[in-house]
Amino acid sequence: MRQKRWFPIFYMFVATAFFSSIVIGFTQLTSEKVKASEKLSFERAVLSVLPGLYREKMNNSELHRIFIEQVTEPDELSAGAYTLRQNGKTIAYALPMSGQGFWAPIKGVIGIEADKKTITAIAFYQQNETPGLGAEIAKAAFREQFKGKVISVGDKPLSIKRPGMELGASDVHAVTGATQTSTRLENIINSALTNWRHQLNKGDVAK
Amino acid sequence: MNASGAGAPRKNIAIAGLWRDNPIFKQVLGICSTLAVTNLVLNTIVMCVALIFTLSLSAATVSILRRFTPRNIRMMVETLIIAFYVIIVDIILKAYWPEMSRNLGPYVGLIITNCIVMGRCEAYGISNPPVPAFLDGFFNALGYSFVLLIIAIFRELLGMGTLLGYPMPYFSGPYWDKWIIMVMPPGAFFMLAIVTWIFRSIQLAQEKKSK
Repeated sequence: MRQKRWFPIFYMFVATAFFSSIVIGFTQLTSEKVKASEKLSFERAVLSVLPGLYREKMNNSELHRIFIEQVTEPDELSAGAYTLRQNGKTIAYALPMSGQGFWAPIKGVIGIEADKKTITAIAFYQQNETPGLGAEIAKAAFREQFKGKVISVGDKPLSIKRPGMELGASDVHAVTGATQTSTRLENIINSALTNWRHQLNKGDVAK
Repeated sequence: MNASGAGAPRKNIAIAGLWRDNPIFKQVLGICSTLAVTNLVLNTIVMCVALIFTLSLSAATVSILRRFTPRNIRMMVETLIIAFYVIIVDIILKAYWPEMSRNLGPYVGLIITNCIVMGRCEAYGISNPPVPAFLDGFFNALGYSFVLLIIAIFRELLGMGTLLGYPMPYFSGPYWDKWIIMVMPPGAFFMLAIVTWIFRSIQLAQEKKSK
């Protein structure tokens, strides 16, 4: 048996087929779950930046229900942002953002008040920065800085400054030791905001 | 180095994996992941559980197939088996613990290339019956895990003042200036070197005494 030349090839073929089919089957079984959990983490991020919707101890189905009931999908008026509306009046926007971080893509949501200038909150639903350094951007201590910051009119809507530097109305402090992540995050936030502003202006002109 | 031959008592396999031939400080295998995942204790625990699962089962599987596998392609088959178990772990994490899957990022997938796994399959699994092979993999993974945990505990405590994410008294207070370098890659090198140094000194002292 072992002397046959074709045997190793045949053996490898059978072994590969056997193990891959198990893996494929397993992936199929869990793919629904994976998709659902990805969608849920996005919905969680959106809700957490919109005022008054998010509670710390909310289970997944509750979260999904509130998202469906309260949040309006992006339309022309909101220029790509999810909106929270009550009686036809917009209360806040949730603008998705994404881009390359230091190691892997960073995806998140920025919450903006109805005046389109004031930040309500910021949240991330995907990031893979260095644990303990860049990954601190997802922690409350860093994110809470954004609350109430004003999007500036210039070409840099928000700035992430070095720790210890003085802050203006649209500046926050970076995480110590995470310069790369901070620079990239600043770019991601600013390109999302600039883009959004651009879209909104285009909409205004068309009216 | 491989003191545990076929038919060796199980106690020997355990001692070899945990202490005498410990994968980290004696065989110096799997160092890449040691450096990468030890900055937080929780990440380290999950990584270790994943490695224990992968290493013991793939060593057993390699051992079951050892009589059929042609010698010249055995390493391909071993890699295939290891990759199979690692992908299973990866899928489970993605589906049921997405936060952890995100934290560990590429490192779970990189267990495939962890030298300990291939090393134990080659050194032991391929030439021994399934049960000892399983035990050998299990205890080697355990030996890897306890060293990693020691490193991780010190790195997280000194670098961030927390353990498992909970703030520790004194270390998270104002009197402790956090050693940021400990959670960065250089901290892993320092800790690994110190741990290896201490354990090897103990081993050396033991050997001298027994002579």
